[in-house]
Amino acid sequence: MKIHYCDALVIGGGLAGLRTAVATQEKGLSTIVLSLVPVKRSHSAAAQGGMQASLANSVMGKGDNEDVHFADTVKGSDWGCDQEVARMFVTTAPKAIRELAAWGVPWTRVKRGERSVVINTERTTITEADEAHGLITARDFGGTKKWRTCYTADATGHTMLFGVANQALKEDVDIRERKELLSLIHKDGRCYGAVVRDLIDGELEAYIAKATNIATGGWGRVYRTTTNAVICEGTGQAAVLETGLGTLGNPEAVQFHPTPIVPSGILLTEGCRGDGGVLRDVDGYRFMPDYEPEKKDLASRDVVSRRMMEHIRKGKGVKSIFGDHLWLDISILGREHIEKNLRDVQEISMTFNGIDPADEGPKGWMPVRPAQHYSMGGIRTKPTGESPDLSGLFSCGEAACWDLHGFNRLGGNSVAETVVSGMIVGNYMADYCLENEIDIDTATIEAFVEKEEQNIREIMSRPLNDDSIFDIKRRMQEIMDDKVGIFRNGEELQEAVDELQELLKRSRKVGIRYVTHASNPELVEAYRLPKMLKIAISIAYSALLRTESRGAHYREDYLKRDDANWLKRTLVRWTDPEATLPEVFYEELDIMKMEIPPAFRGYGRKGMTIDNPLSAKRQEEVDRIREELEAKGADRFEIQDALMPFDLPENYKEKNERQGVGYA
Amino acid sequence: MPDTAQNKGRMLTFEILQYNPSDPQSKPHMVTYHLEETLGMTLFVALNMIREKFEPDLAFDFVCRAGICGSCGMMVNGKPLLACRTLTKDYPDGVIRLMPMPSFKLIKDLSVVTGQWMDGMSKRVESWIHSKEEVDITKLEKRIEPEVADATFELDRCIECGICVSSCATALMRPDFVGAVGLNRIARFDIDPHDERTAEDFYELVGDDSGIFGCMTLLGCEDNCPKNLPLQEKIAYMRRKLANVKDTGGGLEIRVEG
Amino acid sequence: MASIIEGYLGKRVDGTKSRMPARLDRWQSASGLFLGLFMWGHMLFVSSILISKDFMYTVTKMFEGSFLFAQPHPIIVTLSVTFVFAIFIIHAGLAMRKFPYKWKEYKMLKTHAFALKHEDTNLWMVQAFTGFMMFFIGSVHLYILMSNADKIGPFASSDRVWSDGMWPLYLLLLFAVELHGSIGLYRLCMKWGWCNGTDARAARKRLKKVKWAVTAFFLTLGLLTLAAYVKIGMEHRNDYGQRYHPTAIIAPLHLSAQEVPS
Repeated sequence: MKIHYCDALVIGGGLAGLRTAVATQEKGLSTIVLSLVPVKRSHSAAAQGGMQASLANSVMGKGDNEDVHFADTVKGSDWGCDQEVARMFVTTAPKAIRELAAWGVPWTRVKRGERSVVINTERTTITEADEAHGLITARDFGGTKKWRTCYTADATGHTMLFGVANQALKEDVDIRERKELLSLIHKDGRCYGAVVRDLIDGELEAYIAKATNIATGGWGRVYRTTTNAVICEGTGQAAVLETGLGTLGNPEAVQFHPTPIVPSGILLTEGCRGDGGVLRDVDGYRFMPDYEPEKKDLASRDVVSRRMMEHIRKGKGVKSIFGDHLWLDISILGREHIEKNLRDVQEISMTFNGIDPADEGPKGWMPVRPAQHYSMGGIRTKPTGESPDLSGLFSCGEAACWDLHGFNRLGGNSVAETVVSGMIVGNYMADYCLENEIDIDTATIEAFVEKEEQNIREIMSRPLNDDSIFDIKRRMQEIMDDKVGIFRNGEELQEAVDELQELLKRSRKVGIRYVTHASNPELVEAYRLPKMLKIAISIAYSALLRTESRGAHYREDYLKRDDANWLKRTLVRWTDPEATLPEVFYEELDIMKMEIPPAFRGYGRKGMTIDNPLSAKRQEEVDRIREELEAKGADRFEIQDALMPFDLPENYKEKNERQGVGYA
Repeated sequence: MPDTAQNKGRMLTFEILQYNPSDPQSKPHMVTYHLEETLGMTLFVALNMIREKFEPDLAFDFVCRAGICGSCGMMVNGKPLLACRTLTKDYPDGVIRLMPMPSFKLIKDLSVVTGQWMDGMSKRVESWIHSKEEVDITKLEKRIEPEVADATFELDRCIECGICVSSCATALMRPDFVGAVGLNRIARFDIDPHDERTAEDFYELVGDDSGIFGCMTLLGCEDNCPKNLPLQEKIAYMRRKLANVKDTGGGLEIRVEG
Repeated sequence: MASIIEGYLGKRVDGTKSRMPARLDRWQSASGLFLGLFMWGHMLFVSSILISKDFMYTVTKMFEGSFLFAQPHPIIVTLSVTFVFAIFIIHAGLAMRKFPYKWKEYKMLKTHAFALKHEDTNLWMVQAFTGFMMFFIGSVHLYILMSNADKIGPFASSDRVWSDGMWPLYLLLLFAVELHGSIGLYRLCMKWGWCNGTDARAARKRLKKVKWAVTAFFLTLGLLTLAAYVKIGMEHRNDYGQRYHPTAIIAPLHLSAQEVPS
């Protein structure tokens, strides 16, 4: 048996994992990163539009700071997020982007003088200040008060990923590709590493570490129509679930992006609308202002996606053999802008649909329909990134429910979260490694490896039946699309939960045609499938139990956001490995500790909340504290600290300098 | 909508190399599959259908399936292409022959090891910012001319798919050749004002026959790069720059008397 | 000692890399550029036969130093040819470093070029093949001219082409040189980016067209010229060895009729 030892083990080589690895390696810890694919191919590369950080360099970002970013994030989450985490995040984000700039990410810069932009379909001229020349610029994104999304054309994730991966190479992080996490090794509530399968030779190996971080990204592939890469199958989260100890938070919080292209489901960035593009219906009519007079096409993603589906249901969709869709029109931005700033969008549209979006008029309109995009939920962690259930287990990025996003994530906050949480969690994880030793006997390790070997042997020994792994998988994805999608109701969710349980049973019996260990894609599908089904069941079951509508979780039978009963985080634990349903319990969100107590988001339907009496009480308290401190001449940092204190490692809590305002 | 209606239902013939080098029994051979074409079919769709219907064991690599991650380079009728972006309708005779990219270690069938090759390249050209400046991330970022940032980004668009390497006869003949991907990376850091390296520094990395002077200007890279990187121009630029690096004369010999 | 250290360790004593690869690369290009341009001039001079025997004669004498000395000195031609031969050998030596030299490499190259159907790769194959040819036929030609520098002229050259049976070699050489040279000059522009301008891609397309035009021009010119020598050679075969006497002297060279050797 191969056993590898290291200080810090990071599973997942996307932005979050790599940034974590840089943090631990920098502190002198031997760090190993394991990845399903070469790390620069991780799904982080597909993030197009940008990363939010309140630099306030562009004239359209003037007045932006951590407070504004914080408020946008909390409202975006529909008050489902952990506000302490959101504060940690907005405070660190400007530092993250400046660090990345120093690592070579070629952020698009402010150019002094006049430039022409499209706002609300009108060409407008804005003038950038001389003092801002050469600083990092930003574009508009949904659900934000300011232009805050920093970018490199529409390949932001790509340049960030290469910047961070190159930094990891510089730090000599031990990166191993084509390694798959099967299970976590743990004993007495302490995680000791992982059982890992080499995807080339099929051998099982044990990786033993003082701390293990799961940064395996989202689980979008449990859906059929998703923008996610094919590797985003949620097996990292499933491994935590299969410990029987670790928990998933808010699995029902699934984001549907408004503008994936039809039929491939490949994402067209929110930057399309951020830069001034608009949605149109079958008549070429721009319908979003009718639904959302204030934010129009740039309300938060959950709202826009829902409005689009609502409009399609009214018969205003465009019929096609791939189902009804709407149009995304960016031709109004002009060819020059598209070929410079929305180049990948143009490339995708031309390659996959034969449409050049820079062509004027309907000819250049791209067919779009909302599809699964992001999992706000994931491995539940504390603000330090450590699991509350298993000591030594950390998680960050999309894999985690650190709970920055609550029930809806703002565009541009996910790539931002990857690096920011990588910095923060990486440092906490490094501290953990420095403070803790491990003592585990090889018998325990062997038992865990043997269990996985037994599982693979069992799969290989199954007799072939009429069933097929691919059929079960497709059926699961169809159920998720059809019954656990944008519009949900109790009846369909119940059907989904029932059928998914049947599929889970079937997946435990289905045989495979090839029984070799080395590089066997069919075997891989076979052992991943039950894991994916457990995730799918967790999503559907949590969605069934949450009888309210919040953010992206929208129940047609419970239309209101119910702060009185549902201001709480779903937690899912799978104690019995043979069971087909997990245990679900809840963690209350404490209104009395919130910096911004629940209220109206500023977009979406009004009057659709069942208020919690504590909200008004806390609001009064917040107002009072603010008033008192302002009277004493306290600055915004002191007020914030009085309302909701939070901690950060390193120098991340220091004030961020901004052009023209210094550290104010 | 994709303009492929006229091709719907056409029978496609796929000839796919199958070989598992780790299996002593396995011999490299071509296997033929027939598949009905669907609307807007890409090789991503087709290969997955083949795996589901005929050959669950068929190995190939896809990640983003949108031409962004660079995982799926393979030889399609002799040309290295990103399979996910390759539409079957572009093959009028309906015969598509798939081979793994040469110049990379074969794992199985169409799956090759590009990641380690690229990491090796990255380490060889020290593909990261070299700066003595201590950056305080609470302070304003360094100012960069917008045009310079754009020029850096232009070259930073490389996705390390390996197609430039597989379309380069030099790289195929000489496995130690750094490839267009490596030379482009040097050019990228040369432009980036954050990087303090000089031409002399770059010369130490690629100033030899497996580096910049090994390039025979066959331009397979330039003509096949899926990201349309200006490789000819940038390699020529680096060549001029590095060919004219001053000779320090090798320095004085250090003798230590014991 | 420094050289031994570098030889064994691949590093110079100050820890830097040798500048030799840069130098060799420059020399390879410079020698190629010289030979390419030389061959253009050479072809133009040789083709003077198409205008008239007298013109070709005058050109020949010019290269023997007629504009400087009272008597022509074929030794000048010998020295010139020797110089070109030296550059030729240097270029061959430098360029053959790029050849496939193992069977496996050759096999890979051939398979790849065949499958890729890529013009510039195929052009390189042509270059490598013609280069290899010229190792031999180019050397033969150069050696003969070097050792028979006085035997260049409308009849002497034609006799060599026809009566000495050199025309098949010249035919091969013509194709080899013109293809190798024009491709090589095009590649040099690409390699060093000399003609990139503001739009390198457009420039390349233009240059490629120019390249083919130049190839076609020189091949046509070469074939016509060779045909002219063959024709003269055939007509002159019974007077083999007899030298040409000009009927007219082409200005502006300050040669007078009586100075023409008989």
